[in-house]
Amino acid sequence: MAENIESNPFVDVSVFLFFEDISDKQGVEGFTNYMVGQAESLAKSVPEEEYETWDDFAKAVASGESVFSSFESIEQISKYGFVTNICPFSKAIREYIKRIGNFNPVHMEATDYYNHTIQPSAAHSACMMHQTYRKEVAKRIKIGGKPLQYAQIGAKAYTGEIALPPESWKKVLLEKAGISETQGFMEMRENSCLYLLYVEERIPR
Amino acid sequence: MMDIAIYSLVDDMVSKAGTEGVVEYWLRVGESYAERMGKEAYVGWPAFNVAMKEGRTSLTVEGEVNVLTDLAIIDRDGDVIGYVYALKTCPMAPTMRRYISRIGPIPDSDTDVADSYNNRIRDSAVSNYCITHQRFREIAANNITVAKQGLECLQLANKGMSGDVKMVPENLARINVDERHIKSILRSASCVFALIVRGKSAGEEIID
Repeated sequence: MAENIESNPFVDVSVFLFFEDISDKQGVEGFTNYMVGQAESLAKSVPEEEYETWDDFAKAVASGESVFSSFESIEQISKYGFVTNICPFSKAIREYIKRIGNFNPVHMEATDYYNHTIQPSAAHSACMMHQTYRKEVAKRIKIGGKPLQYAQIGAKAYTGEIALPPESWKKVLLEKAGISETQGFMEMRENSCLYLLYVEERIPR
Repeated sequence: MMDIAIYSLVDDMVSKAGTEGVVEYWLRVGESYAERMGKEAYVGWPAFNVAMKEGRTSLTVEGEVNVLTDLAIIDRDGDVIGYVYALKTCPMAPTMRRYISRIGPIPDSDTDVADSYNNRIRDSAVSNYCITHQRFREIAANNITVAKQGLECLQLANKGMSGDVKMVPENLARINVDERHIKSILRSASCVFALIVRGKSAGEEIID
């Protein structure tokens, strides 16, 4: 596992403020676009990876050796089901609250905007960055020659609220992950994020 | 992970708002960060310096600070008007190390933004983050009073990841400290600054 270097929360908090400043000038849409755009750029900068088998990939992710787990500690709960125990943004969020106070409402406005215009999966503005990063990084990973696929199932905010997909999606995603809804809720009690990682049986045209 | 976003965000911002636009954003972030930390009052320099040592002031949220009490700044009447402080580790250093280890080399936009600031505003940034950090300190210092007197922060020197050093000669002159002394402090610190009573100087005149 790579060396764990802790960030300085002073920097984390200032990045949140940077996005707030963008929203002052460009509104919630600008905030969201910048957050999504920079996560895409970040993901495009990471090195590509290839794995022979699914087990090789799952092992690399769980041990923190894959670029997919560069910024978070990931656990495999079923063949395609994965969880992140501690949200990698939780420290930054705690420090923001500790130093500055209540979160600027623009973060929730941007989260709602993302959930309505991109996909209904974010519990906090940081989820927009995180989930976009995961989606783009997945494109840089091949397993047995096939690209990795990522789909978010559940995300828990620091307030305890959980963002879940619509019922029809949720059923399909949980089935693909090989876990029941009850198991999914149990996982969300212990973890901050539940998602699906898989490869298509056939390469999409 | 939030911190890592800086580099891709700055890269994106440079392409949309130019280096000058990013400098303006960073300056506003530093101001708003400091403003939202609120005001502080201390009965005297000993109380303030203990708070700095213990990390209780808004100025020490950035990390551990060495309070150089041997470097008291005195005015022409012999009154103590401030002290020199050394930030042990740059708050950006862990992020830089993490970025290099997980992603790759630091993007050129980091230096481009710092150069834009150095050429137009003050030659004191070794990375783009210095812009918001130094501005934060200046505004946070304005929100602190010691013995009912407002403070002012003077950036003195800082050291980049590759060892490059920036000094601010006009501020060194104002507190009458030799550049060589500050360089020796920088051996075990990343940033050196002075906090003095607003408008005072170690020289003859009082600066408005």
